[in-house]
Amino acid sequence: MGKIYEYEVLRIDLSNEEIKREKIEGEVVKKYLGGRGLASKILYDEIDPKVDPLSPENKLIFATGLLTGTAASTGGRYMVVTKGPLTGTIASSNSGGFFGAELRFSGNDIIIFEGKAKRPLYLSIKGNEVELKDASEIWGKTVFETTDYLVDVFGNDKAKVSCIGPAGENLVKFASIMNDKHRAAGRTGVGAVMGSKNLKAIVVKADEKQVEYYKEEMMEVVRKQTKMLKEDGVTGEGLPSLGTKVLDNIINSNGLYPTNNFQYGTFEDVEEVSGEALVEKGYLQSNKGCYGCPIRCGRDVKLPNGQHGEGPEYETGWAYGADCGVNDLNAITEANFICNELGLDTISAGTTIACAMELYEKGHIDKDELENGPELKFGSSESIVYYTKQMGYREGIGDELAEGSYRLAESRGHPELSMSVKKQELPAYDPRGVQGHGLNYVTSNRGGCHVRGYMISPEVLGVPEKLDPQELEGKPEWVIIFQDLTAIIDSIGMCLFTSFALGLDDYREIVNAGTKFDYTSDSLLETGERIYNLERQFNLEAGITPDEDKLPERFDEPLPDGPQKGINSKYKELLPKYYKKRGWEEDGYISDKKLEEMGIK
Amino acid sequence: MTIKVKFYSLFKINLKSSGEVYEIKNPITISELINKLDNDYDDYFTNKLLNDKGKISPGAIILVNGKNILHLNNLKTELKDEDIITLFPPSAGG
Repeated sequence: MGKIYEYEVLRIDLSNEEIKREKIEGEVVKKYLGGRGLASKILYDEIDPKVDPLSPENKLIFATGLLTGTAASTGGRYMVVTKGPLTGTIASSNSGGFFGAELRFSGNDIIIFEGKAKRPLYLSIKGNEVELKDASEIWGKTVFETTDYLVDVFGNDKAKVSCIGPAGENLVKFASIMNDKHRAAGRTGVGAVMGSKNLKAIVVKADEKQVEYYKEEMMEVVRKQTKMLKEDGVTGEGLPSLGTKVLDNIINSNGLYPTNNFQYGTFEDVEEVSGEALVEKGYLQSNKGCYGCPIRCGRDVKLPNGQHGEGPEYETGWAYGADCGVNDLNAITEANFICNELGLDTISAGTTIACAMELYEKGHIDKDELENGPELKFGSSESIVYYTKQMGYREGIGDELAEGSYRLAESRGHPELSMSVKKQELPAYDPRGVQGHGLNYVTSNRGGCHVRGYMISPEVLGVPEKLDPQELEGKPEWVIIFQDLTAIIDSIGMCLFTSFALGLDDYREIVNAGTKFDYTSDSLLETGERIYNLERQFNLEAGITPDEDKLPERFDEPLPDGPQKGINSKYKELLPKYYKKRGWEEDGYISDKKLEEMGIK
Repeated sequence: MTIKVKFYSLFKINLKSSGEVYEIKNPITISELINKLDNDYDDYFTNKLLNDKGKISPGAIILVNGKNILHLNNLKTELKDEDIITLFPPSAGG
């Protein structure tokens, strides 16, 4: 049994159906921690950043974090890292649930999938038996069907499954990998990479918990941190009761709730679709938690027609709601359930439909192309359900939608109508309403993404302190800290939501406690900086140049409504300062000297 | 003058109310409004919005016409006719 900082690796050659074991330990672990950091390092070292993401030359890495499977509060997260087909950047997706912890317990901390299987396969890990098995029975099945089937065949109802649905099999550019049925490694199309390798699923059950660490030392810290999480207003009250959908009214009241494909900043019908509505309409059954989590922000939801599942989360509810002009919470929740069944990123799915709606309303998509499907008009609750299925199965116009909003809009001669950065669709916050967050959008290493530099926290919510969302001074520094700290959290396998209550010192404390490493807060933050720089360097070598650090032109225009009416995005002023603070060149590239200093080259 | 107070998040759920409309003679500050709400709701608002030093609790959000009072005049922000005040207890993110 290895210590948590000695990673047991399965290297799986899918082309030849061969399995090898390796170990990763030592200096590289100290420099990259695990999870996102270590997997990104492996990817950078092992593939040519220019490979076609859907080719056998790409690698798909499942990586648990340094503290995954330990007693750390929320210590159950894992990452899927690969080169992404939607963006062409490094693709890096984080998920919760229980699969990650079980993988750790089984003594398989990192799995590297290479090549492409000649026939559909799944990986079975039963105690010490690791085998590739025929997946022809489940190829084509939905996420729920696949999970139930594999658990049944495996013969242990405590087995955990991570799998793709039809969307991944159909290489939808934003297909997700789902675990425990409802939890998503959602963004950047990691599911399509899995599908391109003919890999359907991983099913795992450990015999005994093979996770060795300094438990007594860590337990003290865990007790303290669990108390902090329970006493904090956000993690102890807001998130458990309303989940992330506590945000609908907050973001709308602040005037940055993107409506009708980011044409407006407020949505008239927000109260029909908010987190409060989910409770008041009786759809919410209870909250749910992941492995080791005292926050429990998940939504267990049941619709009047009996459909039962998890979600919608804030981003999902917004993408299918306000962004599509839809005020029907029932339809929004249905669309969310379909995404989970088919294995689709809800943000990219909903916002791609929103883009299609604007294209249709402006005459760039014809009615006959819809082949008797509902009209792609803002507000159409039938559209969001219908076209989600079409996308997942690549049917009718769904085949084009499955390419994502950028390729769709570009093919119609109007790429400017795709609200995306580096071809990944923007999430639920208008950047004109939050200048720091806008800077994060353009500098995120995986394209349009909110979560890896969540400036909404200080600029809107006031955590850890309240910043003026329109102030420019100091924003680059803040964005950098958030980006680097998130990289750390993603690499140690804890949940990002702990950062509402915990700070850098707390993460340093728990890492050192469990490993007897001797990070200072500064040296720990440096690992985050290193991971961030490595990801960007991968992207630069993949041909994603600094010109891509930009927002759609819409955001140069002022917000037309709401409390922030008249304000446009000022990211162009912030970007040069950000590059400078990062220690990068003026043109946004990273010098060899900087890469050497960081220990990346 | 008329001011409208909107309750969201746990305020709305726990109090089972979307808010209040107040007709008042003289301008009041946010501080005074919180006291007024406390009278109607059993000290609930001071408890949730302010810490024991009487300052706004981290994460609590008080908006006047969509602008956070921390960037206006904090608890001394004066309210005028037709102002909409929106209240959220410490909440969250996604």
